[in-house]
Amino acid sequence: MATAVVARPVARPQPRARDEEVLVWPDLVFIEFISALVFTLALFALSLLVNAPLLDQANADVTPNPSKAPWYLLNLQELLLHMQPALAGVIVPTVWLVIMAAFPYFDQDNEGQGVWFGTENSVRLTVVSAIVAVVGTWLLILWDTGKIAMAMNDWFGISGGRTFAFLENVRALQSQLPWPEWSHRIPYLWFDLKILDEGYTGLGATSFHYLDLPGFLVEQAIPIAAMVGLPSLLIYALWKIGWVNTRRDAIIVLFTGFVAVFGVLTVTGTAFRGAGQELVWPWQLDVQEGIPGEGH
Amino acid sequence: MAVEQPARPTLADKIYDKLFHNYIWKSIFRTGYPNTPRNQMLIVATNVFLHLHPTRIHRTHVKITHTYCLGGLSFFMFLGLTVTGILLMFYYVPSVDRAYLDIQNIQTNVQFGQLMRNMHRWMAHAMVILVFLHMMRVFYTGAYKPPREFNWVVGVILLVLTFLLSFTGYLLPWDQLAFWAITVGTNIAGSAPILGPKTRFWLLGGFEVGQESLIRFYTLHVIGLPLLAAIFMAVHFWRIRRDGGLARPL
Ligand code: HEM
Repeated sequence: MATAVVARPVARPQPRARDEEVLVWPDLVFIEFISALVFTLALFALSLLVNAPLLDQANADVTPNPSKAPWYLLNLQELLLHMQPALAGVIVPTVWLVIMAAFPYFDQDNEGQGVWFGTENSVRLTVVSAIVAVVGTWLLILWDTGKIAMAMNDWFGISGGRTFAFLENVRALQSQLPWPEWSHRIPYLWFDLKILDEGYTGLGATSFHYLDLPGFLVEQAIPIAAMVGLPSLLIYALWKIGWVNTRRDAIIVLFTGFVAVFGVLTVTGTAFRGAGQELVWPWQLDVQEGIPGEGH
Repeated sequence: MAVEQPARPTLADKIYDKLFHNYIWKSIFRTGYPNTPRNQMLIVATNVFLHLHPTRIHRTHVKITHTYCLGGLSFFMFLGLTVTGILLMFYYVPSVDRAYLDIQNIQTNVQFGQLMRNMHRWMAHAMVILVFLHMMRVFYTGAYKPPREFNWVVGVILLVLTFLLSFTGYLLPWDQLAFWAITVGTNIAGSAPILGPKTRFWLLGGFEVGQESLIRFYTLHVIGLPLLAAIFMAVHFWRIRRDGGLARPL
């Protein structure tokens, strides 16, 4: 028997509840058929009404402004505007996929399985994390694009002047503070470690020798601290008030936060980023075809 | 007391009889409509398309509001994309000189060509959305818990494959939208530490989006990735059966 192979205490399938079962034909096959039909008709209608886009032929010399990735990657493109490219474009999504794939190994309790929001508090955890993540992400985007400082100035006449200019957005921490010369070149290895790549940008191999502290803070440390810290803080706060009690509760907060942030970033990247990736209203979006020769 | 006589066959009965009780029909479908529970189970177990299913499933799982059919619809999109994709392949040559013109040709000269292209495009978007929603449904019903850990992991792989399938298809029309989206997208990959530039070079087959990139994306899009996705879907469906059907409360 195949089951003889299972030596470790891995969870086995539940025994069947035969008297609770219905026949797949007709009960399930019917539903599948109807939903397939509905989708076919809906997509058919959509295809009759709306044509797939086709712009001018590809031309490497004419860069549209803005150039955008497919919509489901615009979340990453949005992230790219706020931190180091490798972090935003590769490390964050990879780490997140690994974390998500590890969910079931972290939360192995069968409580609440197989029903929508089966555990206590799960609905309010979902609602609260979604709201916090949506509002929080928007605030961060508005702050980092300098819109908050602008609004304070324009609407309330509050301005920090030059003294507080470094609080305007993340970048300003780097450019508006009097960083001493040495902070841009702090050696952390006693030799210059160069690793493989030739670099398509022509910058040469990645070199590990000096640390540019302000750059590191702005492009890596602060974004990482925000991405790890804010969700942790939320989980901690919800634990303090007694809403998060189990691992399931914690990952409900995490997963909901992810879905919400993913949504906000995708919408922002799609509908609120105009020429030069400026933050604009959706009705101000217009793609400028580039001028030949002024590529990239 | 008159014995009740069987009603005389109506015209509909006669047509039905002619259509479905003839030699050719019976050679294809050996049995008629399965109208007893026993035959209904047999048909599900023995029909090549239906046998992905168990013959009976738990009452709660046929409620629309449990799954919203999202996994099934993701799979249905995959099938639809295969059909429309094959039709598009008849007219499309992945060469930088022809690709764009072929798409224009599909839209203007090919019977139902525009419709096929539209269907393919909208189904692709629908699939990305449906797979994401399916993942949310699985999460919020706690259906990744033991013994379904591994099937959740297979799911995450399928999610990535779905994105990649869509991404590779995006380049094929070879218009400005395609070209620059893929330039931006592969630049994102190229920014990875250490391996990024190599990865980007390997994806594009060069330093810029060009003929080599087009043929790579095309090959991955029409055979490499669909094959992988089909394999992982087979595992995914098989595991659902092995894990004892869909998750339900203990
Ligand atoms: C191409 C993509 C996918 C296809 C075609 C697919 C298909 C299916 C189907 C048909 C089911 C049966 C129940 C239902 O319809 O909900 C199912 C269940 C399941 N799927 Fe997927 N799926 C895909 C992606 C994913 C993803 C992205 C995840 C999670 C990350 C996932 C995790 C699961 C799990 C854990 C189950 C078992 C659910 C339960 O026991 O209630 N799948 N899938």
